Amino acid sequence: MPKVVSIHSYRGGTGKSNFTANLATTIALQGNRVGVVDTDVPSPGIHNLFSLEPEHTNKTLNNYLWGETPIEDAAYDVGEKLGVAGDGKLYLVPSSVKADDIARILNEGYDVRLMNDGFRSLVKSLKLDYLFIDTHPGLSKETFLSIAISHVLVLILRPDKQDYQGTAVTVDVARQLKVRKMLLAINKVYSSLNVDALKQKVEETYGETVAGLFPLSEDIVQLASEGVFCVNYPDHPVSQEFRKVAQQIVGD
Amino acid sequence: MSDIGDLQSLASSITAVTSPFRNYLTELHGTFQAINDGAVADYIPELALAKPEWFGICVVTKDGQVFDVGDCDQLFTIQSISKAFVFGLALEDHGREYVNSKVSVEPTGEAFNAIVLDEVTNRPYNPMVNAGAIATTDLIKGSSSTERLKRMLDMFRRYTGREHDINVPVFLSEKATGYRNRAMSYLMLNFGMVGDKIDETLDLYFQQCSIMVNARDLAMMSATLANGGINPVTQERAIDERYVQDVISVMLTCGMYDASGEWAYRVGMPAKSGVGGGILAVVPKQLGIGTFSPPLDAKGNSVRGIKVCEALATDFGLHLFNAAKPERELQAWIDGNDTDSW
Repeated sequence: MPKVVSIHSYRGGTGKSNFTANLATTIALQGNRVGVVDTDVPSPGIHNLFSLEPEHTNKTLNNYLWGETPIEDAAYDVGEKLGVAGDGKLYLVPSSVKADDIARILNEGYDVRLMNDGFRSLVKSLKLDYLFIDTHPGLSKETFLSIAISHVLVLILRPDKQDYQGTAVTVDVARQLKVRKMLLAINKVYSSLNVDALKQKVEETYGETVAGLFPLSEDIVQLASEGVFCVNYPDHPVSQEFRKVAQQIVGD
Repeated sequence: MSDIGDLQSLASSITAVTSPFRNYLTELHGTFQAINDGAVADYIPELALAKPEWFGICVVTKDGQVFDVGDCDQLFTIQSISKAFVFGLALEDHGREYVNSKVSVEPTGEAFNAIVLDEVTNRPYNPMVNAGAIATTDLIKGSSSTERLKRMLDMFRRYTGREHDINVPVFLSEKATGYRNRAMSYLMLNFGMVGDKIDETLDLYFQQCSIMVNARDLAMMSATLANGGINPVTQERAIDERYVQDVISVMLTCGMYDASGEWAYRVGMPAKSGVGGGILAVVPKQLGIGTFSPPLDAKGNSVRGIKVCEALATDFGLHLFNAAKPERELQAWIDGNDTDSW
């Protein structure tokens, strides 16, 4: 049965897109058919990590939401360049980066049901094993939808007070929406923190599992912006941590 | 509403989107959209403007969960569907005994606009034929025509949870061409079944037929009846609980014009249709259905609307007297998560 995985954070700048790209690629490299939808319509970005240039994407999620094209036509195979081979596949449905397109969708809004129908159609037509949804930070109707349809919701937070509070709100919403499984990932953990104590504290606070912790390091930030980190540095501890998180998504 | 209430209501609207039941309705909509039988009503020019492809399906549960597919925002005139609700208002104004002395509740095989009264009692046959509806409209209380209209519009607002307007061109056209209804009114006046304010009552009658609604409104009105007279979203009472059974039972026996008998047998959901293309069907204690599709069959009922009600009744065992285990269990389909079947 196909699994829907939503990656969300209450605030921006948590490294959501990077996390989504790495996790999706890790799972695709294990021989799964994976799709990623960038539903961050107001501020799309994940296409950069997959080296998908806007001039090569004449159809985007926006065109689907305007009823101009089936969603499958806005899906691009980004796996080949990353070495996804064999049974594995990795597709990305990007959002438009054109200012006019972003303005139009913010102005007019769109029917959230279309998004749901689009996800279903994408999973069926591309025969996906996993559908990753990269969301816009904060809570909105779209976030609610992506949480409601998720088999696994991954919440990313940084170890600071604002993220702690925001995550508590999101956890409440997710429970209201009867989400089936929630995982927490802590990113940008500075080196002075006691990792085990942090993990324990966060798990106690929210009553959910911390699936992975990722360090704050200038090196990683620099390397990560060049593409999908776990492909470029498969043996790095960060890549191992991604495989650990992937295991908790694939494993059950 | 409190924060919790808002969160719950947003959560409920989102879980409606992901429900397999909505997916079921979407498929139903796709299947029946292809049907091109029937003809749009054209006895007045305004009705003939309706597009034959318009098609909306809405289901509202008694818990206030809304499932809508297709053209559920498209407004159209309520036409005869109002008759069931004005009957309810007349009951509230005068009680059962008095209303029954003015209008019977017997189904008639005659057409909805037949000029025929019960030969013994001189009452019109039932509140769902034109003569009966004019008689119930006559019973609506109010010190002036404006107040009577306001009370009627306010009743519809309680059922749907929003304000309603009257389509003035439709009202004026109905009024200009309503000779038959005028004739019937004078016949009833002759027998003392209606008061002598014929023009005022007829205006009110044509106005109630010209109220603008959409498929969601119909489903909400129906869900309100299914919920014992309380709008499941606003929690406002729309009709005295004592008269809910009156309205629903007359819908079952007389609601689908002279196709009512076969409807009760085959579909088994109390319903009322209008020549504007609307059908409203009630599943008591469970849900309300509203459909909108203008092409009508020879008896004046929406072709696609009939198909939708038949399918829902069969697939989920919603026939009032169904005893067999249905193919699909309604609550499971409503509560489930669509992604489980992707």
